[in-house]
Amino acid sequence: MNIQHQRESRRKFLKQVAAGAATVSAAGFIPGRAFSANKTLTVGMNIPMTGDLAPWGLPGFYGCEIIANNINAAGGVTIGGETYDLQIATYDHAYETDKAVQGMKKLVLEDDAKMVMMLGGATVAAVLPWATRKKVLTTTLLPSDITPDSEYLIATCESHPLYNVTGVEYLAREFPDAKTAVIVTNNDVEYGLQSTATYQAAFEVAGIEVVDTNLHGFDVTDFAPIVSSVLAKNPDIFCMATSFYVTPIMEQLYHQGFTGKIISCTLDYYHEIIEKTSVDFVNGTIFQFPDFDDPALLESGISFPDPAGFDAAFRKDHPNDWSAVAWEYPVILLNWLENAKAAGSVESEDVTAHMTGNKQEFVFGGGDWWGSQLWGLDNVLIGRWPVVVVTDGKARIQEYGDLAGWLDANKDVLVKHMKNLGLRTV
Amino acid sequence: MDLFVQTIVNGIIQSGFYALASIGLVLVFGVMRVVNFAHGELVMVGAYTVWLVHAQNGVPYLFTVVLAIVLVTGIGLVMERFLFRPMMNDPLGGLICSIGVLFILQVIATYVGGEGPSKQVPPPFEGTMVIMDSIRIPYQRLFSICVCAAALVTLWYFLTRSKLGWAVRAVSMDREAAALQGISTVRISMVAIGVGAAMAGLAGALMAPLTNINPHMGHNVIITAFIVTIVGGIGSLPGAVIAAVLYALFHTFMTTYFSGTIATISGLLIMVLVLIVRPTGIMGHRVSE
Repeated sequence: MNIQHQRESRRKFLKQVAAGAATVSAAGFIPGRAFSANKTLTVGMNIPMTGDLAPWGLPGFYGCEIIANNINAAGGVTIGGETYDLQIATYDHAYETDKAVQGMKKLVLEDDAKMVMMLGGATVAAVLPWATRKKVLTTTLLPSDITPDSEYLIATCESHPLYNVTGVEYLAREFPDAKTAVIVTNNDVEYGLQSTATYQAAFEVAGIEVVDTNLHGFDVTDFAPIVSSVLAKNPDIFCMATSFYVTPIMEQLYHQGFTGKIISCTLDYYHEIIEKTSVDFVNGTIFQFPDFDDPALLESGISFPDPAGFDAAFRKDHPNDWSAVAWEYPVILLNWLENAKAAGSVESEDVTAHMTGNKQEFVFGGGDWWGSQLWGLDNVLIGRWPVVVVTDGKARIQEYGDLAGWLDANKDVLVKHMKNLGLRTV
Repeated sequence: MDLFVQTIVNGIIQSGFYALASIGLVLVFGVMRVVNFAHGELVMVGAYTVWLVHAQNGVPYLFTVVLAIVLVTGIGLVMERFLFRPMMNDPLGGLICSIGVLFILQVIATYVGGEGPSKQVPPPFEGTMVIMDSIRIPYQRLFSICVCAAALVTLWYFLTRSKLGWAVRAVSMDREAAALQGISTVRISMVAIGVGAAMAGLAGALMAPLTNINPHMGHNVIITAFIVTIVGGIGSLPGAVIAAVLYALFHTFMTTYFSGTIATISGLLIMVLVLIVRPTGIMGHRVSE
């Protein structure tokens, strides 16, 4: 299939999804599957829906529900001449590895899930041997899960934490006087250390000196001493990398009078941070995950059906649950459906082959398969990534950074910092 | 120098929470010889109460602090009547029951608060006191440490100046001898767990605006409480308060000048060392068989 034709069918499909959304909005939700004669196509989500990491699982399910409802309301999805209603099957592994393995088997063997979406990290590592042997297409938000042998593991949306370099590039350009930084984050291998290495590399490339890196455990209940400790170094920039504790850290920064620039991978639930600090304080914070009512998502090159409508639908049903993953799993789902349509099959081997064998459009534009340079396999889809800044109390995209360009130019710096922190690279 | 002084301030503020959270554990163990594993969850219930009633429904903060104390005291009394009293002669049974309560309270919190992100309570006392342009104390923390201090002084007064307090201390020292003096050990057990639970509820209510509230937050609380209790001397209330202050200062200094991980490991090492070198802790006393 040529690229032009693929793009046209992609647009047609996205329009159908948007039309479905309009139908659902206009008529109220009618559970299409209750009246439908279509076959059912099941996609699995093996994610944390309870426990500490639920905020990076549950909102994704809510988002996928919206997409599935829209598709079903529009008559379903036609793949290989067969029209299906889409069903999302979930398994809550609570970020426990044994449950993740159990969940994978349940979703694939009992629910007949054709693709399984996961958060990533230890739970993906646990399911990988079985999923690879059974050739189950599995997705992750953490490309560092990818190994040279993980042929059926792909990351088509989030390339955590690589995209953080775009935020640092923006910061260095817009605030050239900011020359020193401190990094405070959790000391886990999957999120904290990966992100720390990326930020250290990005700061080095930008000519910013990291004067302190404070890696803490998960037992911290009071961030006052940690924040006091790093602020004693008088940094221009405070970086939280990928922290699980953004709110209490921001609160301490506020109370301890920090006036420099703040940069973070995520700023989930930033309205709560504003409630605990102030709009003025949070304004100017740089991070990487947009709200989907952002006008910048309406520009050309964005491959998501009716972002503002999706944002509104999500917040209507789940007003307090929007997080970084709310739109990411839906993006993965939409990308998979497109590739299944193009491949004319829902089977993992066919869809995977079509996916990795063809150029893909990334949700924010661009789209290159990458990853072999770090993890041994080009199964990570990278593209433009938004740099978001809190402006007047609202997250707003400032620009789209060129991740591929940065990686081409500075991959070796990143590898150096990853190795310094003992992280796996090829 | 600024960092040194700020660290002392941070440590003192933290010591109030450590003391409040540990006192209940010490009281219950001292009087009933039961290790209440659900004590951290009582703190969690206090915090959830403030989140639900104050942050979600706009009821004044101070009222919800009182409500949290009453609610958690009630839970403590129910535990005493239906779990610990029937297990009076079986400390292991009491411990296992408390573990059961721990899970039940976590599930209830999940049911009430739902899944998803940790709950946040906007601070009722906004702003920060700045001393000499460098030492900063948020008003919420200042309020909390004042209330902690007041609660501890009240408890001290109760235990040393009231007949009921003397009875609690007597039962804590020697249950049998106290009973022979005509003290109702059942009634005193209720008082002990009631006061201990009230302190836990207060600690949770004061911590609510300062921390991430989730069903599992009691885990860290109970670990800290155990360290403080063992270092202070199992069953010793003054020991618990002294150990809370020392441990909070030690932990805060280690976190500030080294790292949080080293601070936690060091704290646990100190606990182990105390168990080996001086099992009675700072203020505990050896009990002959």
